Amino acid sequence: MTVSTTDSAESAPPELVARCQAGDVDAFAELYSRYASRIFSLATRMSGSSQTGEDLLQEIFLQAYRKIASFKGDAALGTWLYRLALNHCLDFVRSRHARMDKVTDTIGDADFSRVPVARRDTPVERIDLERAVQQLPEGCREVFVLHDVEGYEHKEIAAMLGIAEGTSKSQVFKARMKLRALLT
Amino acid sequence: MTTPPHPDGATLTEYADGALRHEERARVDAHLASCRECQDVVDDFRRIRLAARQLPPLAAPGHAWTRVERALQTEGAPRTFRRWTWFAIAAVSVIAAAGSLKLLDARRQRTQAAPVAAAEVPTAQSIEEELRQAEQHYQNAISGLEQIADAEKGSLDPQVASTLEKNLVVVDQAISESRAALKAQPSSEPAQASLLESFKSKIALLEDTVALINEMRRRPASSDASAGLKRKGI
Repeated sequence: MTVSTTDSAESAPPELVARCQAGDVDAFAELYSRYASRIFSLATRMSGSSQTGEDLLQEIFLQAYRKIASFKGDAALGTWLYRLALNHCLDFVRSRHARMDKVTDTIGDADFSRVPVARRDTPVERIDLERAVQQLPEGCREVFVLHDVEGYEHKEIAAMLGIAEGTSKSQVFKARMKLRALLT
Repeated sequence: MTTPPHPDGATLTEYADGALRHEERARVDAHLASCRECQDVVDDFRRIRLAARQLPPLAAPGHAWTRVERALQTEGAPRTFRRWTWFAIAAVSVIAAAGSLKLLDARRQRTQAAPVAAAEVPTAQSIEEELRQAEQHYQNAISGLEQIADAEKGSLDPQVASTLEKNLVVVDQAISESRAALKAQPSSEPAQASLLESFKSKIALLEDTVALINEMRRRPASSDASAGLKRKGI
């Protein structure tokens, strides 16, 4: 069976949910084909590595398979799956931060280099940005992804990561300054 | 007239996002009017944020589903694709071999990490037995792969098949050399490690091959899977 990785904007039909809950792996493959790309993107960007992103993708879908019986349909299946994926990525980030304790890094003066980006009128190339995001240091990368890519507010990010709201803002600043230098 | 001090980073970030309250925004406005550097920072922040919001989803690797499906089957999920059953069997053989090697590795690491009670010290015979068992699993994995290769020759791109064959020759040679070294010095830890590493390389190659054949069956001209092999540096 061909399993594409193109997300579908449509919400999953109820019968697909029911089949997934009944343990139908074919249905689960369809679920995967709908949402794999979205979840892989989140996992890769949060972890800063496509290899780790792939590992997380596998873990997330395995967890979804284990938990889908508890899905009550209060939200769209895609929303439920995304939330599960986000929590899994956050667990990964938190455990890594517990080891590395980087999220509370302070911003040194050296980080605030006021060198302008050379070609001001040109848009940032997506492919360049994707590569640059992977080069961001742990700590500020996750906060940047949550804020600038995923669109969460600082308050939400602070709650998710267990950091101060001001730290979230500082980390986004740090990330953007690093990106600015990387994209010059 | 002197330029007022630069706003701090968090304030510039909030300003670029349009999230400052009126009074604070007015203060930053006043600063930016006379500070080109900060204005450039704000402009760049807005460009970066815009581009970040528009980043398209990344395509999950083609072989990622194979891993998920394998994990589901380990969970006890029914196999869905009868025609893929034997691929799964081959994969399970590979996993079994990998698992056996992990046990050996763990044992080696334990013996290197700290002294252990005499009863726990692996004897030359026990290590030899474990190596023999690992090799047996490894041979099982090879048999599974050979079954697939024999029946699925037409699925593989000839160039890819040729590359795989060459890679297998290289890995087999490494295994032969490691084995010869181990035969000369059965208790040599470097020789044991070398053999284990060679096994691992072969297992990784087998896993990629199974994934590749799966992928070729789905998309005959798949480039992702063969790229995966290249990424492994084999």
